Amino acid sequence: MARREVGEINAGSMADIAFLLLIFFLVTTTMEVDAGIGRTLPLKRDQNSPPVEINERDVLDIMANKNDQLLVENRQLQIEDLEEVVRDFYLANLDSETNPDLPLYTTISRTQCLQKIAASKAALATNPKNDVANQELAKWTAKLAVCESIPNNSYREISNKAIIQLKNQANTSFGRYIDIQDILKKVVNDLRSEKAEEYGWGTYLELKETVEEDIETIERLRILVPERIVEAKIEK
Amino acid sequence: MSKFKKGGKKGIPGVNTSALPDIIFMLLFFFMVATTMKEVDMQVDVKKPQATQAMAIEDKDNVDFIYIGRPYDAEEGTEPRIQLDDALAPDPTFVPIWKQQKAREGKKPFDIVTSLKVDKTVGMRIVSDVKEGLRTIDALKINYSADQLVAK
Repeated sequence: MARREVGEINAGSMADIAFLLLIFFLVTTTMEVDAGIGRTLPLKRDQNSPPVEINERDVLDIMANKNDQLLVENRQLQIEDLEEVVRDFYLANLDSETNPDLPLYTTISRTQCLQKIAASKAALATNPKNDVANQELAKWTAKLAVCESIPNNSYREISNKAIIQLKNQANTSFGRYIDIQDILKKVVNDLRSEKAEEYGWGTYLELKETVEEDIETIERLRILVPERIVEAKIEK
Repeated sequence: MSKFKKGGKKGIPGVNTSALPDIIFMLLFFFMVATTMKEVDMQVDVKKPQATQAMAIEDKDNVDFIYIGRPYDAEEGTEPRIQLDDALAPDPTFVPIWKQQKAREGKKPFDIVTSLKVDKTVGMRIVSDVKEGLRTIDALKINYSADQLVAK
């Protein structure tokens, strides 16, 4: 009985099949990366809570009108100059009070943190449901972590009321809004990068929120260079 | 002299194409890996703004996309509209409802980033309305979509 030989499989059409698949993927491919500027919106505030008192000097007022022109602290400004103004807002009074119109800095030291923690713990001992004391405790514990991670165990902190206020009009273009957000983000990223470099914590932009050790560093940098943006509602 | 000349046909031998499938497969795999499928059919025109500080979104599974721009379909008018998934929303009040429908199991609204893909010429009114809507359901993490611009 003659053994039947298995014939060779014709692979000639393999290329055609692969081509078909290739063309399918070529057509459906979108190479663009989803990129953007991340922001966290403020919590919706209780109608009942009292308005917070603010000092003129602690607010950087940025307004964009319907023609996309900028008004910063009631002066007209070109978008190219905004970065310098925002940077100045952060750094002008860092070492000593040089500009009375910009926010003050205070020194936060380890001893001060410990005192505040002790005080809020005492308040919690009498009333464990004291929300204010709980918040204080969390805040000062975080600040203590910062103090203990840097030389001298103390740092300069910008006034905790310092905010950047963004106002838009209904017809302000989204493009201009992103220009402003981009500049604000750039200044904060730059300042945090400088801090991270100063204390040898690595490169700020390479820190990942998914890595545990990085989260701590990011938290510390957020305390050292806070980013407080308030957006006013668009007037009807 | 003709010692080495073998008899037979002369001429150019055929090109060996047996490696062609391999090459094509390699290309195919490259595109398969690099591909991200289009999420939706765009019904509004979105020309994204540019930003130097734009960062790539990494966890794409935990992102919802909202598109805002002028509709392609002239019957829908020329005013900027909001596109949620494959449909145009009649007004911004639909955003929180839609967002809640898209909630993932075991995740709070806060955990899911909302990416706003907004045309750069659109006015801020509609963007502001959408943001207010998201705040009402505590979906506070947002991302303004922008093309990465390399700083000069």
